[in-house]
Amino acid sequence: MRVLIVDDEVRLAENIAAALRDSSGFAVDCASNGTDGLALLESGNYDLLILDLMLPGVDGQGIVRIMRARRDATPVLILTARDERDRVIGLLNAGADDYLTKPFDLGELLARAKALIRRGKGVSHPVVTVGRLRLNSEEQTVHGDDLLVDLSPTEYRILEYLMFRPRAIVSKKELLEHLYDFRWEHHSNVIEAHVSNLRKKLRSTGVLAAVDTIRGRGYRLTAPGEI
Amino acid sequence: MHELDGRRRAFDIMLRGRVDSVLGAIQDAEDPNDNVMIDRTELALPQEDIYEVTTAGGKFVGGSPGLTPDLLNALSSQRTYSYFNFKVKGKHYRALEQPGMRVIDREENGGFRRPVKIIYAAPTYHLWRETVEAVRFYVIASLLLLLLTGFLIAWFLRRSMSPLRELALRAERVSEACWEFDAPAEVLRTRELEPIASSIQKLLNGLRTSFERQRQFTGDAAHELKTSIAVLKSSVQLLSMRERTAKEYQSSIEGLLMDTERMEDLTTRMLMLARAEQALSSASHVTDLSKTLHVVVERLQPIMQLRRVRITLPASDNKSVRIEPESADVLCSNLLMNALQHSTPGSEITVCLEERGDSVELLISDEGKGIPQEALPHIFERFYRADPSRSRANGGAGLGLAICKAIVDRCGGSISISSAQGLGTRVQVVLPGATASPAQ
Repeated sequence: MRVLIVDDEVRLAENIAAALRDSSGFAVDCASNGTDGLALLESGNYDLLILDLMLPGVDGQGIVRIMRARRDATPVLILTARDERDRVIGLLNAGADDYLTKPFDLGELLARAKALIRRGKGVSHPVVTVGRLRLNSEEQTVHGDDLLVDLSPTEYRILEYLMFRPRAIVSKKELLEHLYDFRWEHHSNVIEAHVSNLRKKLRSTGVLAAVDTIRGRGYRLTAPGEI
Repeated sequence: MHELDGRRRAFDIMLRGRVDSVLGAIQDAEDPNDNVMIDRTELALPQEDIYEVTTAGGKFVGGSPGLTPDLLNALSSQRTYSYFNFKVKGKHYRALEQPGMRVIDREENGGFRRPVKIIYAAPTYHLWRETVEAVRFYVIASLLLLLLTGFLIAWFLRRSMSPLRELALRAERVSEACWEFDAPAEVLRTRELEPIASSIQKLLNGLRTSFERQRQFTGDAAHELKTSIAVLKSSVQLLSMRERTAKEYQSSIEGLLMDTERMEDLTTRMLMLARAEQALSSASHVTDLSKTLHVVVERLQPIMQLRRVRITLPASDNKSVRIEPESADVLCSNLLMNALQHSTPGSEITVCLEERGDSVELLISDEGKGIPQEALPHIFERFYRADPSRSRANGGAGLGLAICKAIVDRCGGSISISSAQGLGTRVQVVLPGATASPAQ
């Protein structure tokens, strides 16, 4: 999953980014003003936007309005240091999904961020099952029946993304964009290698689910007997 | 009394009239002695009136029918030839005694002249009753008139006071939460109320602006403080999320220390601003601005070297201004620090200090990239950061110039900033000199 943080308080943005990377293995980009934030939103595919209200350039409310006008459905979590009820209401009405007041609890922020990402993918519970494969996004574990499937962080993130979108064809580019932030170089063969390893590990625990390659289009997660 | 007087006069005139009537009724008695008599058939006088007619010789000629011996006695006892009052059997009378001349048989040889004396009396209780009645009428009429006037005045007052009442009502509605006060048109049309309404309006507007500014400041201050706390809190929570290496702890602690210092700086500046805005100016302080500038520049040496910026100061020369030494220090260091931060490496900051009449002018010019034109009107606002690309981490709290303005305003000076983009910024501060009369 890939998250964009737009906050002019660089230290705070860095802390949130570190926490998201550490705890959930998310890819995180940061922007320190509204204009940069909007540019990043346009170019990248984000699963969540964490937005400060008071920003130089375009302010938080402006960003929400512009991105919703662009039909960008990315979930938005607002960070505000002002408890101005009217503005919060205005923001939620403008298309924001949730808000937190500063100073916030980092744990709460992570929980809300994950919930918003899940909701954005149409999943309401941290535990997702496809066939007999069960993924717990809270513990970041994957079980086949009751057997733990030991995955590397990247393999887990690929599987998580695919499991949040079962039966949908996910292109290599989309996977790349959602799993890596701008700090990494994008190489599509990195994805291929990870998918290949993931497949092997899934197969070794019994054929519970398969990552199909659809030539020229991408990958698809299917459970046996579903198609 | 006046009424009674008037009536008495009228009564007297009536008496005289009646006397004349009686005189007119005196006829020749057609007897050999050429006596006279009263022909009562022609007389139409009130029953209660009495009269007595005698000849000049005192011979009784005639009298009214109701003439009793008592009355006759009372009438005859007077010899005044004018008006007089008397009382018989509890009845008050007023009488007139008048001599008269009756000419009889004018056609025949010029007629005979018969001098007579007439005493005519009429009871006066009419007079009293009529007076009382008239007075009663006047009193009742006056009372009615008074009542009517009262009602009219009350109605008129109510009507003319209604704008005032409306004004009071509107004024009552004004509260801390609702500053709306628009004087009703009726009030504005009233000449006496218009100044009151407009001064209330002016006062409220002033209060509202000051309240709004205060609220804005509180909101901004809360925002800054909460953000600072959020940084600290998230840093600590991030650190405790999992086991870290000693090196990671070390660098995190350094970061935390930096965050704490920033917060400390923010708090100091906010308190400084609050003090500068609230404290009353003590005009007794006089500071040598030239000396202060030298002290501040000395202190800024390390930063100047770090940024490779030179500061050119005018030669030390006593330039006394009315300002507290600490405020002068804060003002100079804030302005110079700003200039330093916006200067390009290798450039120069020029400081000029000159006396202009009663005041001293301080000019600080840098060769930095300047301030965007659209930002200039806002630079003195609290928490305003001119350059959006400069984040809080290196842009300060946005309080420096607000503090400077508060200090300058308080000691009765002025501060203005002009800037040409790409060429540099010039700050002009005018402060009252030591010779100037103390600022209010």
